[in-house]
Amino acid sequence: MELSDHIVRHLREVVDLPDLSGTRYELREVLGRGGLGVVYAAWDAHLERRVALKVMDAEWAGEARLIARLEHPGIVPVYEAGTLPDGRAFYAMKLVDGTRADRFLAADPPLGERLRVLERIGEALAYAHSCGVLHRDLKPQNIMVGRFGEVYVMDWAVDGVAGTPAFRAPESAVDERSDVYAFGALLAFLLPQGAPTALRAIAAKAMNTRPEERYPGVPAVLREVERFQDGLAVEAYVENPWQRVRRFSRRNEVLLWLLAAYAAIKFLLFFARAI
Amino acid sequence: MNKITVGLIFGALLGAIDGATAWFTPEVRSMMASIMVGSTIKGMIVGLLSGWFARKVDSMQWGIALGSVLGLGFAYAVAAMQGDHYLEIMLPGFAVGAIVGFLTQKMGTPGPVKRTS
Amino acid sequence: MWRDADTAIGGNRDNFPSTQLSLIEAAAGEPLALERVAALYWKPVYKFIRYKFVKSNEEAKDLTQGFFASALERDFFQRFDPSKAGFRTYIRLAVERFAATRHQADTRQKRGGGVDPVALDETLDEMAGSAESPEEIFFQEWRRQLFALALDELRAECAASGRHTEWAVFEAYDLADEDRPAYSELARLHGIRESAVTNYLAWARRRLRALVTERLRGVTSGPGELREELRRLWS
Repeated sequence: MELSDHIVRHLREVVDLPDLSGTRYELREVLGRGGLGVVYAAWDAHLERRVALKVMDAEWAGEARLIARLEHPGIVPVYEAGTLPDGRAFYAMKLVDGTRADRFLAADPPLGERLRVLERIGEALAYAHSCGVLHRDLKPQNIMVGRFGEVYVMDWAVDGVAGTPAFRAPESAVDERSDVYAFGALLAFLLPQGAPTALRAIAAKAMNTRPEERYPGVPAVLREVERFQDGLAVEAYVENPWQRVRRFSRRNEVLLWLLAAYAAIKFLLFFARAI
Repeated sequence: MNKITVGLIFGALLGAIDGATAWFTPEVRSMMASIMVGSTIKGMIVGLLSGWFARKVDSMQWGIALGSVLGLGFAYAVAAMQGDHYLEIMLPGFAVGAIVGFLTQKMGTPGPVKRTS
Repeated sequence: MWRDADTAIGGNRDNFPSTQLSLIEAAAGEPLALERVAALYWKPVYKFIRYKFVKSNEEAKDLTQGFFASALERDFFQRFDPSKAGFRTYIRLAVERFAATRHQADTRQKRGGGVDPVALDETLDEMAGSAESPEEIFFQEWRRQLFALALDELRAECAASGRHTEWAVFEAYDLADEDRPAYSELARLHGIRESAVTNYLAWARRRLRALVTERLRGVTSGPGELREELRRLWS
């Protein structure tokens, strides 16, 4: 059988489309192809809302169920999981309306906003780790920032896919610390040009080539960033004495000004009397 | 440590230190002991009132403002009793009051109901 | 070159119900597995040789036969290392090496002549028509063959299980080279309801997808490579 290009193209379009008969969903469009399967936008006829449908071969259904059990504001909620007539597995989840992290940075948000996004990502990661689930492929393309400040970590636990080189830890074993590495890479990615050295140091420590030298877990990284935001010293960055003084004076600015005012008054009075 | 205690302690401490600086004014050096005692008590009263205020109202600006006013007011009272050295007593008293007001806002545990502004 | 002798109704096409043919079986010398690899790759290799080395139709055919003969002899499949590249790339590189050495030997031999300028012109004309690189051509032919083989299987399956209408409807719609008929027209033509047209098409496409996946499984080293190839196939 000699197939023309035209026919092959058509077959490629229609044959891979999931057959949603028997489900309450109507197919709308292809949103993207991830490591695990294809994501489509669909219409939920019962609840009359748009949803995202992730369709994958049945062998990955177990992974899907694992992720469906995670419940956290930073993890896309799963509405339903099932099997399609053609044997493929699917799960219906919230259709996130927002931008991917790499595009989110194009608007050059302030540092505080970037750190807030990082914090949300970290909270979701820490939760997943506590449930024994790793992400394994953390990268900006897998982070969605919603229009109203929501932050979602997507495309979880894709076993077998090696991850993106720039965000993948050097060691071959995959555990919490490889996620810490990727998290550090994410922090480095989110930092603007000329970001404070302390933050860069935190990212560098999380991305240490030796897993033992990294932070033990994502919560530790979050605490470090919090300490930075409170103007406290950070484990990753050892300051010289002058930097410590500067940081201290930044933190206690008001008090130092008040004390300076007192001292100035005393001095002025002293010298005024002397004249 | 609640805010009233913070006010009392720091008010006393700073009051005492402020009183001690009287040493730099030779003519009153002989009365330094009584000056320090008076200054300490003045500080404690300012601290107490600032602390009480800080328990009710969470506002750095108002706390400093109140502390300054209280410090100025009580310093004026002390200066009026002496009839002399008004400026040397009132201006530092104003500054110390401001510091005490700041500290009571920043430190210590507040009361059960807090209004923020 | 390959015809399915097994005409089981529905279900698995192979004579081996529970084993799934993969490159492992090919490496072990399992004839059906090897046949499947050759069936899929013959045309793509042929076209690739023609375009990459600017060979006439006859020369390219010779080289292709030669390649498969030599590949099936030596431990071609055992030497395949999935961690380095996919199987498709492995074959393409092997073809390049094979054709290059043969090409050198040939030009040394036919220095004075023996090259048919008319046949070459044909090739060059064809090549001028397409904008893609030989490597792209290789991939496209491979994809085309994959579908073609799966379609052959589907047709045989329908014939064997009496699903003549299903095949007819599918062929008329999804395999139409020109304008596609409307569902209502198909329904009228075959005396069925429009909903049946939808169902038949859905069924045929499902089967085709499963058959394509099975074929692909036979030429990949494992689930990881399979997933990658599927992604490339459909996107």
